[in-house]
Amino acid sequence: MILSLGLVRGVIGMIIGAILGMAVTMLIRIGMGLAAWGMEPVSVVGALVGSIGFLLGVGVLTDWIKWMQGKPTPMRHGPPEGKPAWTRYFGTDYNHKVIGIQYTVTGIALLFVAGTLALTFRLELVQPELQYIDTNTFNTFVGAHGIVMIGAILMGVGGLMNYLVPLMIGASDMAFPRLNAFGYWVAVPGALLIVTGIFVGGWDTGWTGYPPLSARAPLGVQMFFLGVYLIGLSSIVGSVNLLTTVTRMRTPGMSLFRMPIFVWAAVATSIIQLTATQLIGLSFLMVLIQRLLGMGFFDPNLTEHAIELNSPPGNVILFQHLFWFYSHPAVYVFILPGLGIISELLPVFCRKPLFGYKWIALSSITIALVGFLVWAHHMFAAGMEDYLRVPFMFATLLVAVPTGVKFFSWTGTLWRGKITLETPMLFVLGSISVFLIGGLTGPPNGTVSTDLFLHDTYWIVGHFHATMFGGFFFPFIAAVYYWFPKVTGRMYDERLGKIHFWISVPGFWVQSLTQAYIGLHGMRRRIADYDPALGIQTGHVLITIAGFAIGISMIIFVYNLVVSARRGEVAVANPWGSRSPEFQIPSPIPEHSYAQPFVVVGEPYDYALPGSTYVNMNPAGLAAGGGGGGGGGGGK
Amino acid sequence: MEEKKKAAYRVGVIVLVVLFVLTIGEYFVAQIPGGVISVLFIIAIAKSWAIMKYFMHITSLWSEEGGH
Amino acid sequence: MSVATPYVEPAHHEHHELPYSEQLRNNRLGLWLFFTSEAFMFIGLLSSRFYLWGNTRPDLDQTLGLIVTSVLLVSSFFMNRAETAIAHDDRPEFLRSLLITAALGIAFLVGVVGFEWQGHIGPSDGAYGAVLFGMTGMHALHVVSGVIFILIVWNNGRKGSFSAERHWGVEACAIWWHYVDLVWVFFYPALYLMGHVVHG
Repeated sequence: MILSLGLVRGVIGMIIGAILGMAVTMLIRIGMGLAAWGMEPVSVVGALVGSIGFLLGVGVLTDWIKWMQGKPTPMRHGPPEGKPAWTRYFGTDYNHKVIGIQYTVTGIALLFVAGTLALTFRLELVQPELQYIDTNTFNTFVGAHGIVMIGAILMGVGGLMNYLVPLMIGASDMAFPRLNAFGYWVAVPGALLIVTGIFVGGWDTGWTGYPPLSARAPLGVQMFFLGVYLIGLSSIVGSVNLLTTVTRMRTPGMSLFRMPIFVWAAVATSIIQLTATQLIGLSFLMVLIQRLLGMGFFDPNLTEHAIELNSPPGNVILFQHLFWFYSHPAVYVFILPGLGIISELLPVFCRKPLFGYKWIALSSITIALVGFLVWAHHMFAAGMEDYLRVPFMFATLLVAVPTGVKFFSWTGTLWRGKITLETPMLFVLGSISVFLIGGLTGPPNGTVSTDLFLHDTYWIVGHFHATMFGGFFFPFIAAVYYWFPKVTGRMYDERLGKIHFWISVPGFWVQSLTQAYIGLHGMRRRIADYDPALGIQTGHVLITIAGFAIGISMIIFVYNLVVSARRGEVAVANPWGSRSPEFQIPSPIPEHSYAQPFVVVGEPYDYALPGSTYVNMNPAGLAAGGGGGGGGGGGK
Repeated sequence: MEEKKKAAYRVGVIVLVVLFVLTIGEYFVAQIPGGVISVLFIIAIAKSWAIMKYFMHITSLWSEEGGH
Repeated sequence: MSVATPYVEPAHHEHHELPYSEQLRNNRLGLWLFFTSEAFMFIGLLSSRFYLWGNTRPDLDQTLGLIVTSVLLVSSFFMNRAETAIAHDDRPEFLRSLLITAALGIAFLVGVVGFEWQGHIGPSDGAYGAVLFGMTGMHALHVVSGVIFILIVWNNGRKGSFSAERHWGVEACAIWWHYVDLVWVFFYPALYLMGHVVHG
């Protein structure tokens, strides 16, 4: 029965909810003496009630509703009874490993949606003037590419954190399994709303949704706001869960400085998600209600009555402050887990201790905290208060210090290591090279005098694509390859993995360097057309070809994953010789992960140090032959 | 038991009285012309501290006994 | 790594359920983290108020402001009384105090929505209207959620749920309600008291 899938029930619930919400709004409007059909209010309430309908349909609210009625709500474990095991991935499931895979797969699917949007408008840019799509579609696609990619990245981050963190700290699950499931499922209607927005007029504001443009953009912008709001809610509850789990549920002996380095990155990420996300939600909500109710937060015009009241006018700069207070730290939400993956994987493939563990751990936290003080560097050219420029420039350049610490540590770890180049390691090295491009193109944007010229050019596009690809995308791919045997119990195809690498990473070098180059030659962001006299058409052709190459490499990637998951070589428990606890238990990982709590007895990354042990998997000595928590010198 | 309960109720009453006095205080501080925003903020922080400590039991986050 | 650790399937799945005291402490931390998150949203609204209004404020009904603020304070007192009562197994007092809290919450809503919102400032009246309705509206939404929460807890308590040892539901409801009060502790002066009224 197809109805047994939570996802299907959710979509049906969403449709019913939307119709109900719209009907009720129309009835209320009639009651208030208005015309029944008002496009915006009816659609917005419909979307909101529809999202609740989705959550009810998928069944993620069921236990809470039972609690409200005073009924018992025992925790469910394992796959749903009387259904095939795969169905649990399409419905409400409380196991953090299932939720982690749900997040990851959704993230990869959204990467494809966003990538397709990008390739479409890249085709348009191959030639000057307009060929395939009109300007409004172009703008909508650029905005949708941005926000769907952000959604994809947030899903990917959620996937990594949910799957790995409880395993790494030896917790039986997340602290709040039901909230965990809610966190995933609330993002799905969010993504659906954003995609719906493309079809109901789109939005020509880009993903930033600045008023005053967004205050008068088509209806699509409202769906976009609501979708972002739901995905933001997902981030917030996910980070509540993660911070509680890490604070309270670490296994005995796992002091803060003995946690795997990825956990530090996850904590730093969650601190940002927990707090800053509220501000993008608030800023979008303010525009949403400005459009619905005429509350002029960002409207510089005053009504006559307002003038009588001596009211000050609204101010659009306020929106940018609120918006960037999240949206700048958000890029650290994207890159910190990725940088954590790099630090996590490097020692394994170099067979050497991680260089400067404490410095790396603290640099993640420092990046997160300094990241709160830099938001206005997006506004140097926006007409912001002049006195804010220099302090924000200073704070921005300060971010380079903890980031430099990470680069220094990676170099130190690589130095004289016994490096082996399996696919995950290739992607780690690729990430470092790409992130270096992103890092070096950054300071000119953070410096006011140069930013005034670089602002809104393709230089910026090249810069942040390099940081996103080096800081999240390639590390994420590395992580998927690295933990794939742990998740599925089978090995991926190494040859296809290497092909994926040799297409995507060089393809990306071409793409981002050319973007930066044509930016310096006068190509502006988010513009569908350009003057052929700038001499940048070859550059655009190169970027488009590189973009398609990356797209094709991603198809190879997914093919590899799907085929290997079914027919790949059976994986051993610890194919990489890792010291991390999740590699000391069978692949795929059993339902309840660890048979008994393990104990941390040493430093996490002392590879090749004779006699050192990180975890004792069998502290009680229950079964014979245990106790070997990834000894130091072991080869592969 | 009975004694403890009475004591707990009494704490509630005292906090209420203090909050009330501070609120009335705020109202009168606001009547002074000019330069009172900082004072109002300090009073608000004092009130919120009382609420967090005595009503919301913030200390139960780090105190080790089993709570109630 | 050739040595695979033997895996022993646990005999009882129950051992994966956390003990109540552990779960309670997790719950408290989780709720407080959520408060931290919400605080940023409320601080965002407060910042908008100072950004747009500066050192001025609209001419609001001072008596009404003082009344609704007092009503919310007293409701917080009764909420605290309810929690104290269930912690000492005094169920009648617990249920009575909960109902009084909910009634005071509704009285607060009547004051804000029924009177303040019907005053001489409308939502579309420049930054005064936008911020006033934005801040009180967002807060009122939280009050509504709190009242619903209280009524759910009251209904469950009436049917015999909660005990002196186990009443996380009551505690969560109580600190949620106090949090809503806490937000108003900052919103009240920001809206009614800070800055001066500009007379045209």
